[in-house]
Amino acid sequence: MIRVNNLCKTVVTGGQQLDILRGISFEIKAGESVAIVGASGAGKSTLLGLLAGLDNASSGDIFLHEQNISRMNEDERAAVRARYVGFVFQSFQLLPGMTALENVMLPLELAGHRSPAAAAQTYLDKVGLSDRGGHYPRVLSGGEQQRVALARAFAVNPNILFADEPTGNLDEHTGQRIVDLLFELNSQSQTTLVLVTHEASLAACCERVLTIHDGQLHEHSSVESAAL
Amino acid sequence: MITRGLRYLVRAWRGGELKLLGFSLALAVAIVSGIAGFSDRLSRSMEQQSHHFLAADRVLKTARTIPDGWLDEATALGLHTATIASFRSMIYAGDGMQLASIRAVSDSYPLIGELGISETLFGPPMMRSAGPKRGEIWMDSRLFALLNIEVGGEASVGESDFTANQALISEPDQGGMNEMLAPRGMINFADLAATGVVQPGSLVRYRYLFAGSAEQLAAYEQWLSPKLDDGQRWQDVRDGQPAMAATLQRAEGYLLLAASLGVALAGAAIALAARRYGERNTDSVAIMKALGASRRQVLVHYGGQLCLLSAAAIILGGLGGHGLQWVLFASLGALISVDIPPASWRPLAVGAVTALGCTAVFAMPPVWALSKVSPMRVLRRGNDEAGAALLISALIGISGIGVLMWWYSGDALLTAAVLIAALVTGGLASALVLLLISAARRALIRGASGALRIALAAIYRRRVSNAFQVASFALSLMVLASLGVLRTSLLDDWRLQLPADAPNHFLINIQASEITALNSFFEQHQLKDAGLFPMVRGRLSHIDQQKISDIEGIDAQDGSINREINLSWAADLPEDNRLQSGRWWLDANTEVGDVIPVSVEAELAESLQLKVGSELRFNIGGQLLNARVSSTRSLDWTSMRPNFYFMFPPNSLENYAGSYITSFYLPTEQKRLLADLLRQFPTLTLIEVDTLIQQMEVIVGQVSTAIGLVLILVVACALLVAVANVQASLDSRLHENAILRTLGASKKLIIRGLLIEFAAIGLLSGLLAAVGSNIALMGVQYWVLEMEVVWHGTVFVIAPLVGVLTMCILAALSCRQLVTQPPLVVLRQAF
Ligand SMILES: Nc1ncnc2c1ncn2[C@@H]1O[C@H](COP(=O)(O)OP(=O)(O)OP(=O)(O)O)[C@@H](O)[C@H]1O
Ligand SMILES: [Mg+2]
Repeated sequence: MIRVNNLCKTVVTGGQQLDILRGISFEIKAGESVAIVGASGAGKSTLLGLLAGLDNASSGDIFLHEQNISRMNEDERAAVRARYVGFVFQSFQLLPGMTALENVMLPLELAGHRSPAAAAQTYLDKVGLSDRGGHYPRVLSGGEQQRVALARAFAVNPNILFADEPTGNLDEHTGQRIVDLLFELNSQSQTTLVLVTHEASLAACCERVLTIHDGQLHEHSSVESAAL
Repeated sequence: MITRGLRYLVRAWRGGELKLLGFSLALAVAIVSGIAGFSDRLSRSMEQQSHHFLAADRVLKTARTIPDGWLDEATALGLHTATIASFRSMIYAGDGMQLASIRAVSDSYPLIGELGISETLFGPPMMRSAGPKRGEIWMDSRLFALLNIEVGGEASVGESDFTANQALISEPDQGGMNEMLAPRGMINFADLAATGVVQPGSLVRYRYLFAGSAEQLAAYEQWLSPKLDDGQRWQDVRDGQPAMAATLQRAEGYLLLAASLGVALAGAAIALAARRYGERNTDSVAIMKALGASRRQVLVHYGGQLCLLSAAAIILGGLGGHGLQWVLFASLGALISVDIPPASWRPLAVGAVTALGCTAVFAMPPVWALSKVSPMRVLRRGNDEAGAALLISALIGISGIGVLMWWYSGDALLTAAVLIAALVTGGLASALVLLLISAARRALIRGASGALRIALAAIYRRRVSNAFQVASFALSLMVLASLGVLRTSLLDDWRLQLPADAPNHFLINIQASEITALNSFFEQHQLKDAGLFPMVRGRLSHIDQQKISDIEGIDAQDGSINREINLSWAADLPEDNRLQSGRWWLDANTEVGDVIPVSVEAELAESLQLKVGSELRFNIGGQLLNARVSSTRSLDWTSMRPNFYFMFPPNSLENYAGSYITSFYLPTEQKRLLADLLRQFPTLTLIEVDTLIQQMEVIVGQVSTAIGLVLILVVACALLVAVANVQASLDSRLHENAILRTLGASKKLIIRGLLIEFAAIGLLSGLLAAVGSNIALMGVQYWVLEMEVVWHGTVFVIAPLVGVLTMCILAALSCRQLVTQPPLVVLRQAF
């Protein structure tokens, strides 16, 4: 499903060169759930962004669904995302100008779904927010906003779901409920799950754990990572 | 596609992001189409009204009748025509007879405007759109008095008898001074031949009147002009009434100027709102892109929203503009006596193009920038403060506004003057804001206290947007200052706002023996006269021993030279006259030697190339008089007092037969006194200029009211800009202040800091505006209005004051939520 070959990312800021990722290679199979962990500033978000085609790699190849997205331009990558990819973010990233329902409808509309409203409502029901569809994000609590984000992510039936610290902004209890919901929806739709976290409990729920350190990737068993 | 776009639009509208932008756009369309429509219709109406001075759109003046074919051609082209023959002739009634200036008018006269007649002498006029029928003669009230007959009496001209059945109170076209000197009699053109007055060789002048559409007139003019000879003059309003033409042109220029500046201001407001719109949507675009939206989709989405928004703004703004026109005309009320021409589609088109232009120029760059937002933003907020892109969009905006203004005013020079002034102001603003910021920084280091510290820190934090804010607010203030000054200086310059009791009647041909009696008549009826001036009529024949007709560069046919001129004398420089060069005689008797000194009106002196010391020779009734120019004077021709081109010392013209002239004010209710006056002094010649003054006053009143109203609209534009400015900083302010309050700052402290910050911005903007408006005014005065260039110092007091006050009020109003919203709510919203 995802194959990465010798991926490097270098940025230049203020005349200084910063090597964030230095030659990373790994493979993730369809339906797997993988956690990426590492210290703050290790490059987890950078890697996730590259995997999802949000940014350009400095060198190396990324195959998503057997398509080499590192050779694509921005719009082609966007088309790949629209077809195969879903997202959940630490800061929810709902559109403030749209209601909960409209936020869920957005990726459906972008993918050309025939009845986006009905599909979106189904997913709002699944995350337990049936009656909050008309509300704007600013009146929803953080946990509710993240549930809307989950509904939005799963509504398009993505092959791959990327999540960047999905519980990072939530308290432990709410975070746990979101995690439960995430894995429940994931098992329903057989999605490949790639999530960034530094919460051990969350990483432990995944089948594999990849650790970034010093721009390099190390693979651990899930048991080892649970000790982090 | 469109329904989807509409749905997004409605969503975005409900989300609140589009409201300011949509409102700015709609207001821009309303203001622009309102001003365009208003000035368009007003200038058409003023033009129409001024056509009354000709009683037609065009006049052909000639000393002979024209070939029949000429009028046939005009009729064939669809023009309306009328004919006037004017000549001087005696009118007889009973034992009396009187020299009159007679007009024979065809049935269609007047083509434009109306004749005022009355059955009582000097009575209130009834308006008629046709002249006398066959067998009737309408006469000036004073003619009835001079001939000693009543309305309805008999009078004859040449070999024909007429019934004098109406007193002629007003005519739409007054004719020249020559026609006004003798009292008017008006008969039907069909009666002219029978009077036998018009013989070969007799002095008859013809006026052929034409009225029709601009195209018809142009077609006829093209056909006619090759056929005209030197003695035939084709006139339009501008030739007929140069003073009126200048007034109209200035009014038009002013309205266009105001409208252009309105466009610029509305554009600035749109730019600000669009920038905020772009900023607020940056995160949304990053999310949409992360969810798989392509750049094209982003462009279509936001561009489509803008297009739909401008369409809605055009419709709403167009309606608003129409309402605005209506309100403007309603408030002009009685001032407009002619029918208001119907509204045209042009103003709406102007508004629509403005809206689309502003959208393209101001709102599209932020959208273009949106399409380039990196989706990586969803994972890590980057600082994409793109200075170069900002500069480019500013350049696009400025040139776009320039093109719009140019297209709108059709005047490249005007546009350039305004734009250059704006750029100078903008440049100065940026430089000064930078200076201020470094000063603020130093003050911070030295440790300013409390509110001041907060204000200085806030100014420093937002230095880029503050530069923009000061520049644009300074621009608005500059516009207001310029327009305000222009309005008053235009009116000052026109000086047509005569005092209510300015003389409106002239009396000439007063004999020395009549002076005492006349003065007691004035006293008895409590009339104010301008004093009696002696007057001798003479002709200037030589300058420096050269015959005038032989001097190069002097047009001997010029009306002001090639005729008998009124010469006068006085011991003292008359009131209102100002010496330009030379000196006035101290003691007349000692200075009169063999060569008599003479003081010459300055403009005439210039056109005759006269200097102090030039020798003049006058021919006064066959006798010669030598004089030497001793001074030049400027006159106030609009003072309605007797004015003279040439003035001599007392005792120099005594030997020549002369008479006296005066002018006086007579209220309309007392017009009947004229009959008594003329009965008592039958040899006096009376010139009534009251109707002329009234017509001028109506037009000037219209213009100044219109200007005041347009100024209000521009104020609305300026406020819009200021509001957009404050709105633009609202988000970051909300966040900052919430943090400040969380850290323990009191509401009072924050409000004081805010007020200081805004007052500083207002003060700086006001000072810059004063400089900028003075520069702009100089350009406009010099090139556009062709007036004297003056420096306006008061602006330096008023503009900063207005700036500070406006900014503080705005701060108080729109930043209320900054301190009233609980910090928790604010912090929660900020993601
Ligand atoms: N465009 C960029 N310009 C400058 N520095 C960058 C850029 N992108 C990433 N970095 C730096 O690269 C490093 C990795 O960033 P990244 O956001 O991937 O970290 P992370 O592992 O997600 O950390 P956290 O757990 O705190 O979210 C950081 O030090 C960051 O400052
Ligand atoms: Mg991160």
